[in-house]
Amino acid sequence: MLLFRSEETVNLWCAAHNVPRRPLINLEQLWQLAVHWYGNRLTLESRRPAPDEMVSILGSLDLTGPFWDPKSDQWR
Amino acid sequence: MPADDLDTEVKLAIYEITAKTGRVPDSSEVARKIDIDESEVLAAFDQLHAKRLLLPEPDDPSRIRMAPPFSGIPTAFPVEANGQKYFANCVWDAYGIAAALHADAISHASDGYTGQPLTLEVKNGQPILKPFVAHFAVPAAHWWDDIVFT
Repeated sequence: MLLFRSEETVNLWCAAHNVPRRPLINLEQLWQLAVHWYGNRLTLESRRPAPDEMVSILGSLDLTGPFWDPKSDQWR
Repeated sequence: MPADDLDTEVKLAIYEITAKTGRVPDSSEVARKIDIDESEVLAAFDQLHAKRLLLPEPDDPSRIRMAPPFSGIPTAFPVEANGQKYFANCVWDAYGIAAALHADAISHASDGYTGQPLTLEVKNGQPILKPFVAHFAVPAAHWWDDIVFT
């Protein structure tokens, strides 16, 4: 995933690469995702969140719907 | 030693070396650090890959392409923290390195389209917020289908 100065440059990038425009997230959401995913990554008990945990983490950041659902088959 | 314990020991060694040096180790370096046979390290790499905690280089399983949030190769997301320089796999992982190290960090990244420099910074455990945005091109159900692209 890439970083953009604004929605405008996202749209230009999508058009240039023929990639559908997908959801955007702001830096606060991105930081919270990083803390949830990686906050204990260097510890004994660390592991990647399971699908249900992913749904819970993403939902707590208002990232809901099929795009953010790791078990969704809408995109297959 | 049970296989799960060995996988954990290998994982911790990978992250310990990476955090200390800024460089993601290969299997021989991990084997030396924890004094086991390199073949056991390679088996642990396979298991950690299955758990989506590590991505070996496809053409050389002794090398690690990703030990998220760290990248085994230089990327467009360099991160400086604790006096060390790291590379993140993507913008999420640039913040992820600060979160994993529990350290302040700065990443001299750039706009994905224009290349304009964009700086991400974490100070006193919090991000310095700016009106930048991250674009997720791949839905969550497919993040690991091609994690390098994601």
